[in-house]
Amino acid sequence: MASLRNLAASLNPATSTDDVNRAESREIDASTKWPAIFLLGSAVVWLLIGTVFALISSFKMHSPEFLGDYEWLTFGRMRAAHLNAVVYGWSVNASFAVAFWLMARLSRSVLRHSGLLIVAAAFWNIGVTLGIGGILAGDSTSIEWLEMPLYATPLLFLAYALVGAWAVITFRFGKSQHIYVSQWYILAALFWFPWLYSVAEIMILLTPARGTVQALVNWWFAHNLIGLWFTSIGLGAIYYFLPKVLGKPIHSYYLAALGFWSLAIFYNWTGVSHLIGGPVPVWVQSAGIVASFMMIIPVFVTAINHHMTMLGNFDALKNSPTLRFIVFGAVAYTLTSLQGSLMAVRSWSEVTHFTHYTVAHAHWGMYAFFTMTMFGSIYYIMPRILLQEWPSAKLISLHFWATAFGVTLYVADLSIGGIIQGLLLNTPVLAHKFGLQEGTDPVPFLDTVKAALPYLKWRSYAGILITVGHVAFAINFVWMIVRSVEVTKTKLTLFCTPTDTEVAAR
Amino acid sequence: MNRAPLIFLSIFFALALSWTGIVLVNQISYGSLQPVYDENDGKAYPLQTPGLAARGKLVYQDLGCISCHSQQVRRLGYGSDIARGWGERQSVAHDYIREDRVLLGTMRTGPDLRNIGARQADHTWHYLHLYDPQITSAGSNMPPHRFLFETRKVIGQPSPKAIQDKLPEKYRPKAGYEIVPTERGESLVEYLLSLKDTYAYPETKNVYVEPAPEAGKEGEKK
Amino acid sequence: MDWFFYAVALPMAVLFLSSTVYAFCWSSQRGQLRAFEKGAESIFDDEEPIGKPTDFFPGKMPVAKTPVSKS
Repeated sequence: MASLRNLAASLNPATSTDDVNRAESREIDASTKWPAIFLLGSAVVWLLIGTVFALISSFKMHSPEFLGDYEWLTFGRMRAAHLNAVVYGWSVNASFAVAFWLMARLSRSVLRHSGLLIVAAAFWNIGVTLGIGGILAGDSTSIEWLEMPLYATPLLFLAYALVGAWAVITFRFGKSQHIYVSQWYILAALFWFPWLYSVAEIMILLTPARGTVQALVNWWFAHNLIGLWFTSIGLGAIYYFLPKVLGKPIHSYYLAALGFWSLAIFYNWTGVSHLIGGPVPVWVQSAGIVASFMMIIPVFVTAINHHMTMLGNFDALKNSPTLRFIVFGAVAYTLTSLQGSLMAVRSWSEVTHFTHYTVAHAHWGMYAFFTMTMFGSIYYIMPRILLQEWPSAKLISLHFWATAFGVTLYVADLSIGGIIQGLLLNTPVLAHKFGLQEGTDPVPFLDTVKAALPYLKWRSYAGILITVGHVAFAINFVWMIVRSVEVTKTKLTLFCTPTDTEVAAR
Repeated sequence: MNRAPLIFLSIFFALALSWTGIVLVNQISYGSLQPVYDENDGKAYPLQTPGLAARGKLVYQDLGCISCHSQQVRRLGYGSDIARGWGERQSVAHDYIREDRVLLGTMRTGPDLRNIGARQADHTWHYLHLYDPQITSAGSNMPPHRFLFETRKVIGQPSPKAIQDKLPEKYRPKAGYEIVPTERGESLVEYLLSLKDTYAYPETKNVYVEPAPEAGKEGEKK
Repeated sequence: MDWFFYAVALPMAVLFLSSTVYAFCWSSQRGQLRAFEKGAESIFDDEEPIGKPTDFFPGKMPVAKTPVSKS
């Protein structure tokens, strides 16, 4: 009963008597320790699992006989499993951790009842495990970005409700006078996600809408999952870590606000651009195209803001692992968004729609931007909750260079391959003009497959490189946690305040 | 903290707009399209998918065929869908209204399958192609689907469904054995054969008319 | 779809725009836009003031900021 009252008290700031003063950031960091470790730990596990699925699917793309006799390892299931493992396993776990760690810090409020948060995180991971197991076993829904079968959904909803509620509660308890731009992004994302997810689940899986309305709902959901959840969390992280690491406020807070609101207004219309030329009303397609174009505003505003903040501080990239990943992510955000706007143009979509070019675009956004930003955030968060440094600087460097180079190769390779495939597949007249084929009639379909094959092979090499980076990261991560258990006794740390260390040295 | 309600309200409105525009408006405007009853042959189009084919669609879904195959034909002059023979006309919303799950797809690592049943109506071709795509389409990167077949000892009469005699030499089993599609394999092929949008809905009548090569990019769809 | 555009979308657009303008004026009158740029500094405090970088490769933290040698 007492604990129930406790719980009630922790839901409402008005009934809380303690913590009248702002909490110290060390206290706040400490309060997030266990949920953060749990979420990030699961994220890393999913990252590795997702990477294995990715490699298998990539190999199968150019060597179809590879593991060809196993139904559960067939390409269609591997690809769906890969997508769900990296999206709902790695990315969502990581973004949960980063979101509520930032929320706690920015609201200057300690995290309450972190045990419940761990339970929520456990539910989420059980849900994702169930979902991916379901996909492998043959229960995939074949709805893009919603492949997990319905029976995994209630767990995910429950987990999300708890995590979301906890972030909002932390915000409400806040002692900060100001709502920082990162909080806008995170609050918005927390609010938008359940709306998107429940509408999609209801209108596609529970009571399917008629005909191609489903397709509209599907892409409204899937593209907004990227645009309103992952982009919001990613940009929120960049807006915090970039100035924080440099020790320099963001260049222009006005631009930050403009960037946020223009993103909020335009991004959520862009999903329809995945259906250009499809059997859905032309006016919706046009609306999606216009919105994709308007996205140039938030993207440029954000890019200018980040660049002006970095200006004169590029030396800091040498010193800070967080900054390297974050800046890489910020640059990738700009480029992938501009590419997205371009892809919505009807004549460009005619070439690149249905090709590997789209896959390159997705990895540019979800990996080069979002995942790299999460890596950067994790490099910042972990030392502060464990009060010790990362065990190996070499592994960090390896991680950065392997993934940065790997994903760049990946995107460049598949973009070129996708364009060639698209020209041959969709616009034979253009392909002829560029000397890719002799006549102006469509070439046999198999020729478009063969033309893409070398690029698919290079995609696998890029994937191997990225895998090397992930393994380095995972080793460093596990090593750090294992060592922290031992180190707590000896207090080897650079994150104490000077007074603490002076006391310790005496 | 003072700005929180305003921020929240605006966040709400931002998504509410696209939810209204993309989801709600379309659900209202064409979310209750009805089948078209054709007085000439007394059938309502699109036709209901027959039972075995409907089960085959579940196989199509659970194997993730959508990762590589789309099911939509774009209009003449936009892409080369029709020039490739993937359909006689562009796909329209009416084509999909009987489907519980619409599998438009966004990838064409393999060809579009919206009219595969009209294009490739031969059972055997599909069985051979699924057994190993190299048999019918050398150089394809489609994975083999041998797990949709069963190699078993012939007991009594050989099965009429057995396909080993049609397979090239190197795939043949030992004498006394036969290769038959499993029930999943059979229903999948049945589903593929059922895929054909050949009915001319009122709204597709005008898209049959071949436009001048570079004529109007927009507006043929109402 | 013409009727839809004129009857629904247009009024909604007007409504949305005017509410945006109203909200903007409202917040501006309440002084919420005053000292707007100050917000950017809210992530810094005495512990980690402006001008102090906070992230380094392991073992690379400048000695001047933490005067004690590593053990």
